[in-house]
Amino acid sequence: MAGSGTILKEFKKGLWAENPVIKMLLGMCPALAVTNSATNGFAMGMATTFVVISSSTMVSLIRRIVPRQVRIPTYIVIIAGFVTLADLFLKAQFPVISKALGPYVPLIVVNCLIMGRAEFFASRHPLFPAIMDALGMGLGFTGVLVVLGGIREILGSGSIFGVVFMTEEVFTPWVVMILPAGAFLTLGLLIGIINYASQRREST
Amino acid sequence: MKPLMIFISAAVVNNLVLAYFLGICPFLGVSKRLDTALNMGFATTFVMTLTAVITWLINTHILIRFDLPFLQYVAFIITIASLVQLVEMFIRKTSPPLYRSLGIFLPLITTNCSILGLALFEALREYTFIESLFFGLGGGAGFTLALVLMAGIREELEFADVPESLKGAPMTLLVAGMLALAFMGFAGLLTV
Amino acid sequence: MLSVLSLTAVVVGGILAGFYQLVYPKIEANRLAEERRAIFSVLQGATDYETMVKTIDTEKGEEEIKIFKGLDGEGRVVGYAFIAEGPGFAAVIKMMVGLNINRETLTGLRVIEQIETPGLGSKIAEEKFEGQFRGLAIKPRIEYVKNKKPEKKNQIQAITGATISSRAVVDAINNRIKIVLKILEDME
Repeated sequence: MAGSGTILKEFKKGLWAENPVIKMLLGMCPALAVTNSATNGFAMGMATTFVVISSSTMVSLIRRIVPRQVRIPTYIVIIAGFVTLADLFLKAQFPVISKALGPYVPLIVVNCLIMGRAEFFASRHPLFPAIMDALGMGLGFTGVLVVLGGIREILGSGSIFGVVFMTEEVFTPWVVMILPAGAFLTLGLLIGIINYASQRREST
Repeated sequence: MKPLMIFISAAVVNNLVLAYFLGICPFLGVSKRLDTALNMGFATTFVMTLTAVITWLINTHILIRFDLPFLQYVAFIITIASLVQLVEMFIRKTSPPLYRSLGIFLPLITTNCSILGLALFEALREYTFIESLFFGLGGGAGFTLALVLMAGIREELEFADVPESLKGAPMTLLVAGMLALAFMGFAGLLTV
Repeated sequence: MLSVLSLTAVVVGGILAGFYQLVYPKIEANRLAEERRAIFSVLQGATDYETMVKTIDTEKGEEEIKIFKGLDGEGRVVGYAFIAEGPGFAAVIKMMVGLNINRETLTGLRVIEQIETPGLGSKIAEEKFEGQFRGLAIKPRIEYVKNKKPEKKNQIQAITGATISSRAVVDAINNRIKIVLKILEDME
């Protein structure tokens, strides 16, 4: 069966080579919507990671019991259940973050990243690889969200993780960066830069 | 008057795609050609309007009445998934030509977050039945508008000299950013 | 086939119901703690409060109005707080408003919920804006001025570039004050 090398590979691919946001363009809605600060990006990433790991675990465990025809609805119900758990947990323990993310927490249900991992990976692999895959994907997703949120927060509010280091006297914040338009522009340029770098590396 | 305002607000001023980032996946995925964009828009509008009305009934008459707020997400997503399934079966039986043009988009609609988002916003803003109906119609119209605008631009972009590393997704995102900026011009026109 | 799906739904529903029962007290406690903080921040000197609930008829049907009577250490009334909400630029803005004991000026404002445009409308939740309401005269009604310093006692300066959010706050307070004053009069 799968050796430790392949297991590690399942984990690592989500971080970069098959990164959900940068390479696969999955889960764009939360990636754009809540990244107006690094903290929000991190919280959203963590909530998503929790849901993707638990739903992949569940789906992998019941993969032999669920009939093919009803697998998608079954997965959706499981995912929606875990999202509700995450939402209630945030409301109880981190009310401030819960408020900042607002209706985007329930929208994790339709994050194509989670459904995608359940359908294309967890339902076809044993428990352990499925968990590693979900962990890698979740952390890869979180990483991009924190970077995006960080860039937008630095340029748009002059702060990082809520700590102001450029006051309005020395730096006029680019308000557009924390508006919807800024999200699209930042992610577009970020992917463009990454493409440019990898093309340069290939040609040399 | 208020239902009409809600319609315009959802369609233009607070466009689901460009102001709330809902439905980005199909917005990026199905906006290469104008005609497919239009069909996708119609299919989504149809499901969205039905969803708006039915989730309103479920939320008001079951979830709130029996005090089951924790079942909201599960109930909503099941509604949407079953609706999509029903619509697909219905269209396949009654109108094969329509099925051929819309059919392939229908499964995609379940994971279109603008539909679940719409149902959640509607519950959050405590709309009445009629308001929900118009909110669904407006949301659908707004999604179609954004998709069609994007497709029109992308068809032209094929002839443009885009730098190699910006081709595809990055350029689409940049264009979306500019569209979002343009839509900010409507900001504050209405407050609903 | 459907049995697996139904079973999943029932199990998920059961687990959620259990978890909800478990965390509901905490969620409710958070809400109350926030309410408490908001009340004390708009009513200086209050160390305790009493909640008065009154049901009134509005166009939308019956509505419950809560008025919080702020009390100091010796049990004297220091002012009244109430919640005002109204449609903002993006969604409903909800705020706690403090009214002084003579019912002539406000003692403070704290925006509790808003998702206005970051960097523009969201400034309604900053001290620079909220502070303007401390000591503001409420009669004949609260007004706002644009791009200049307020001249009258019942005026505040709207946030540059976010007139709609500023107006939403002012309108919501004006509307709710009328109702609250009426209730307080009826109680005497």
